[in-house]
Amino acid sequence: MRRSLFRLATALVLTGAAGFGAVACGTGESPSGNDGNTSTGAAGPSGSPSTAPDSALDPNATVNVRLVLEPTSLNLTTTAGAALEQLLLDNVYQGLLTVDTNAGNKIVPALAASYEASPDGLTYTFKLAAGAAFHDGSPVTADDVVWSLQQAVAPGSKQPNAKALASIAGVAAPDPGTVVVTLKQRDNDLTWGLTGRAGVVYKKGTDFAKLDATENGTGPFKLGGWQRGSSVTLVRNDAYQGPGPKAKAAKVVLRYITDRNAANNAQATGQTDIQTSADATLLQPFTGNAGFAVLRGTTTDKYTLALNNAKPPLDNPAVRHAIRRAIDKNALIEALGGAGVRVGGPVPTADPWYEDLTGIDAYDPAAAKKLLADAGFGGGLKLTLKIPSIYPAAIGDVLVSDLKKAGIDLTVKQQEFTAWLTEVYTAKDYELSLVNHAEPRDLGNYANPAYYFGYANKQVQDWFAQAVAAPDEKTRTALLAKAARQASEDAAADWLFQAQTITVVRKGVAGAPQHFTSSRLPLAGVGIVK
Amino acid sequence: MTVFVVRRLVLLVVSLFAASVLTFALLRLLPGDAAAAIGGITADEAQLRAVRHELGLDRPLVQQYATWLADVLSGDLGRSQLNGTSVTAELGEKARVTGPLVLGSLALALAGAVPLGVLAALRHRSRVGTGISAASQIGIALPTLWVGLLLVTVFAVQNRRLPAQGFPVEGWAEPGQALRSLVLPWITLALSEGAVLLRFVRSATLDVLGQDFLRTARANGRTRAGALWRHGLRNASGPVVSVLGIQVAALLVGAVVVEKLFALPGAGSMLVADVGNRDLVKVQGEVLVVVAIVLAVGFAVDVGQRLIDPRLRETGR
Repeated sequence: MRRSLFRLATALVLTGAAGFGAVACGTGESPSGNDGNTSTGAAGPSGSPSTAPDSALDPNATVNVRLVLEPTSLNLTTTAGAALEQLLLDNVYQGLLTVDTNAGNKIVPALAASYEASPDGLTYTFKLAAGAAFHDGSPVTADDVVWSLQQAVAPGSKQPNAKALASIAGVAAPDPGTVVVTLKQRDNDLTWGLTGRAGVVYKKGTDFAKLDATENGTGPFKLGGWQRGSSVTLVRNDAYQGPGPKAKAAKVVLRYITDRNAANNAQATGQTDIQTSADATLLQPFTGNAGFAVLRGTTTDKYTLALNNAKPPLDNPAVRHAIRRAIDKNALIEALGGAGVRVGGPVPTADPWYEDLTGIDAYDPAAAKKLLADAGFGGGLKLTLKIPSIYPAAIGDVLVSDLKKAGIDLTVKQQEFTAWLTEVYTAKDYELSLVNHAEPRDLGNYANPAYYFGYANKQVQDWFAQAVAAPDEKTRTALLAKAARQASEDAAADWLFQAQTITVVRKGVAGAPQHFTSSRLPLAGVGIVK
Repeated sequence: MTVFVVRRLVLLVVSLFAASVLTFALLRLLPGDAAAAIGGITADEAQLRAVRHELGLDRPLVQQYATWLADVLSGDLGRSQLNGTSVTAELGEKARVTGPLVLGSLALALAGAVPLGVLAALRHRSRVGTGISAASQIGIALPTLWVGLLLVTVFAVQNRRLPAQGFPVEGWAEPGQALRSLVLPWITLALSEGAVLLRFVRSATLDVLGQDFLRTARANGRTRAGALWRHGLRNASGPVVSVLGIQVAALLVGAVVVEKLFALPGAGSMLVADVGNRDLVKVQGEVLVVVAIVLAVGFAVDVGQRLIDPRLRETGR
């Protein structure tokens, strides 16, 4: 008996350690690679969600939506991770501003009806939308906004992403409908920061420790219930007065299904109405089937091959360039099913400062070999790649075979995401690593020499700092584009591809989200035709 | 017998204690911690330190273990480090899925394995016997995952009789739906477990069939099947019961795979997720409960064997 007990315990620990299935990691990373963002289809987004007039929709409908990553808690102020933002932002909680995912993540007003910045960029004045109220019925006042922002930026704040608001010097409420934010220095990223979780408005005096169990948001949905390990139910807030329209459906059940086959079967058999992050290699039941629409959407998921710039031999730019030139990105995207686009640099296509950098270090295995020989590694080079086990193993296989042709002997070491966070991300103990950097507007990572990339170029850091404080949008965009180009020319990392996200929608479902679904998923507009 | 039960109980407690130490120590060897999982990629070192302090992860390990053990002894498995929910409560909730899943498939496996195993032994030279025997070999060889996928394709996707995955949002408040969603997982788990059990039932029965006492019974005028029924099965059940104890452990592991395949909100999938999140307090509570179940089954098997077989009682072993 004792032996079987030991075997059981070992087996349980091992299945866990091997990262069996998608790990619900509390991070900004989307492991959607496991579940299909990396698969077949055209290069650009295509398909479009069907729409229907309100009168055609069933107001009592329940919509079932398949999601991948279940959050580990429902508390935006304590737990990091895209899973939580995907679920709660825009649906249950709102900030002064939000983004329009159908317009390339454009910043648009939410609880603030309008806002303006002073010419010196140091003062932002927000006018609150009329009618907005918390779920307990009390109206949203300037006092609530001031209090919430003060909590986020208070010294010692543990709120994830609070640093997005670090430039705030003070917040004041000259009258109940107006909020004035003053900054320490000009910060062109402030409005973006306010669209995220750090900008969420809570009722003044909310006990953040209790948000796991209770919610008092302002959004079009209330939290109905959480069946841990299975689903979260959102219930329409019938008293909702805006901003934006009331939820079309009475209930939305978000079903967390990690297994891609199970998710596909659920969609094919009508258990779910919308399947996000569908696997493109498993689309056969849906393509050419009048019962379903297949939407291809943009993401900011940059599958980034991190090269430890601070560690030999990768501190040698020639080695980094050689690695970039040795990898055939087109073939890689093909091997993963095709749902990706090349970017050639650190900026996703949706960011205003994106430009096509695929010309830099274009695929050329002969040139890669020569670069290595000139750098003194003609006799071959042994490197190790640490890759979280949530990503498709095919990526590692392609990299090994491509780099072999250039004379690099690559060993792939899979590890659990949490282990990756400690070993690679925090301790920087790695040579090559691969992670999906899912955040939009994260160019700052290349201007931060302490980041795990170990990339330090004073010029890039200066341009980035100037961009943050730039007097106008055009100057800022130009500076950031320059910084991105320089990072690519320095081979600060390699950018394998930007993933596409595939959403399968059952016929008769209107208003399904299409773009950026792993980070934001506004569901108020989703309805079911009668 | 009483002495035996008492001795066996003491052993049970000692084993549980050893398991708690092992579980605690082994989990601490995993790289990564809950603070990293909570803070994610946006946290800086100062934030991580603060979270670690808040969770008590910076305290000496012996102290952490002692606190945990004291809680466990008072019947409290602790609270999740990630969201503060009670481990005991959540395990209870998950047991409402995993319990029926494991017990149901065990019942199904037994219902198939015992009659078929005996039949295979009785007819072991005929086509029926070899047929059953060969089928059970195939059953053992087939991966659970593949069997599950096949069943879903046939019974859920092609002909829509059963749900492809999931468990009703309302749980057992929708008993019909809940049962329907367990049918395919039951069959998936029972097929592989039943095949193993069948092998043991068959060999144990064959063993008994060759014994002198059965020949004597037949000499007294009983038929082969009648002699087996009256005198053989009780003798054959000893080894089968032992194997059954081990199979319960195997079923709990199998539940991890099946729960994922069918997206069932059970204890298996929770455990895997918690390990990934380094919610160690929760994981060690869960593992301890599983260990306790397996040890308790072992205890029940040992006692049960003595009840079945008086010869074991006499030797006092």
